[in-house]
Amino acid sequence: MTSAQIRFFSLVRREVSRFLKIKRQTVGAPLLETFLYISVFGAALGSRIDELHGIDYVVFVIPGLIMMAWAINAFANNSSSILQQKFQRAIDDQLSSPASPLELQLAFSLGGFLRGMLVATLTFVAASVLVDLPVDHVLVLVPALLLVGFFFAQLGVLVGVRAEQFDDVSFAQTFVLQPLIFLGGVFYSASLLPEPFQTLTHFNPVYYMINLVRYGFLGYSEANVALSLGLLFLATFSLFALNLRLFSKGYRLRA
Amino acid sequence: MNHASPPALEIADLVKRYPTGTEALRCVSLDIKAGEFFGLLGPNGAGKSTLIHCTTGLAQPTSGTIHVFGNDAVDHYEQARLAVGLAPQELNLDWFLTVEETLDYHGGYFGMPRKERKVRSAELLEAFSLTDKRNERNRTLSGGMKRRLVLARALMHRPRLLILDEPTAGVDVELRLELWQYVQRINSEGTTILLTTHYLEEADQLCDRIAFINEGQIIAQGSSEELAETYGVTSLEDAYLGLVGRTELSRARIAADAP
Repeated sequence: MTSAQIRFFSLVRREVSRFLKIKRQTVGAPLLETFLYISVFGAALGSRIDELHGIDYVVFVIPGLIMMAWAINAFANNSSSILQQKFQRAIDDQLSSPASPLELQLAFSLGGFLRGMLVATLTFVAASVLVDLPVDHVLVLVPALLLVGFFFAQLGVLVGVRAEQFDDVSFAQTFVLQPLIFLGGVFYSASLLPEPFQTLTHFNPVYYMINLVRYGFLGYSEANVALSLGLLFLATFSLFALNLRLFSKGYRLRA
Repeated sequence: MNHASPPALEIADLVKRYPTGTEALRCVSLDIKAGEFFGLLGPNGAGKSTLIHCTTGLAQPTSGTIHVFGNDAVDHYEQARLAVGLAPQELNLDWFLTVEETLDYHGGYFGMPRKERKVRSAELLEAFSLTDKRNERNRTLSGGMKRRLVLARALMHRPRLLILDEPTAGVDVELRLELWQYVQRINSEGTTILLTTHYLEEADQLCDRIAFINEGQIIAQGSSEELAETYGVTSLEDAYLGLVGRTELSRARIAADAP
């Protein structure tokens, strides 16, 4: 291994070890939350709801839950990890190392990305045990999930870097992220909504992400798949470029 | 001291202006020779920590240049950062890590292979009496233990320039003496030391040369005898009081004025 590889691996390892040390909170709690969603919306309500677009209701909501698990965990991990380290000034150890802005940004991003991937994978495994979950378009599903995970990991980095207090992080998660995800159609089909809510849903970027993941699993989408994938790639790349610029300038990280 | 090698730290015309408009450093120039034990003294808010932060990448200079052993420390900083170890004033330890992990990750950030990290961290844990605490989380340590760990972390990657920003503030006598013995030893082995402290007797005893900084400018520099001569006094303490304009506090003057 070169010294640059050792450096990068150490930066990522620190982020991963952080969430594994508090795994009850970072992995256990999200898993329980997803299990409760499946129980309530699948077993309890699902038995009283007809099929949606020819798909069992519980199966219809699971792709959205998997996407939501990855997105929220990627975001929450990175935003809180960066803010905590800024708060303790422990981040100075990484900032005064020879690591480049790109290495730092990628390492912080990967922490949340990997936590999201772990929770989403465990959710997928648990869901597969409970219901018959197909994977119709793996070539759409894999890039869609990877892009969604990376997008929200970047968003977490952005909020963590900008945040000056813990309230800033919880505000972003509670008042912005969760409404966008919930209103993006995780638990319902947007095509069934009355106007103007149906049209408004089309302005929610998470709607396209959920449709991509749902298409990957179930072969059903209300949005154009290729266009959604292209736009998601563009959005993720733009956020990555913005974060790289912030790290290069030391925005709210260096005095 | 090797005079043929580039200076350990070479700062030229360094300006640091914060977005608020505060000018923390005003055209500072400073040379620290390789192998020197150099003291930077000044009142609170004089610019000591800002100068250190600019050198270590924690603050971005507005203008000017910084070189560490001839390597640019601002734009192409990789080699410069590898050569610097920083023990900051704040006990900025990661609460999630144990004592040993703190050293291990730090070594990793500086590209040290795993085996080397293991050997070096065992060496430093022993040197700073932290071996028994190796598996304890940082947040459970006492203030003195945290200070030891911050110093051990700064030394983990074997820096050629060690920056100690008020390392003895609030520590007990035992640790202070242990620390000075350790840094004197590594200085005699070739490590350059830049020390900021409010304890003038420490600077007097330890430093080859001292610079006075005030309001973001280097006011005077030299050995403690040279500084005393510059201010027309007999001790470093009186020279410092001359710098901050509080000569009425001079112990020599008070004794002379006593009836």
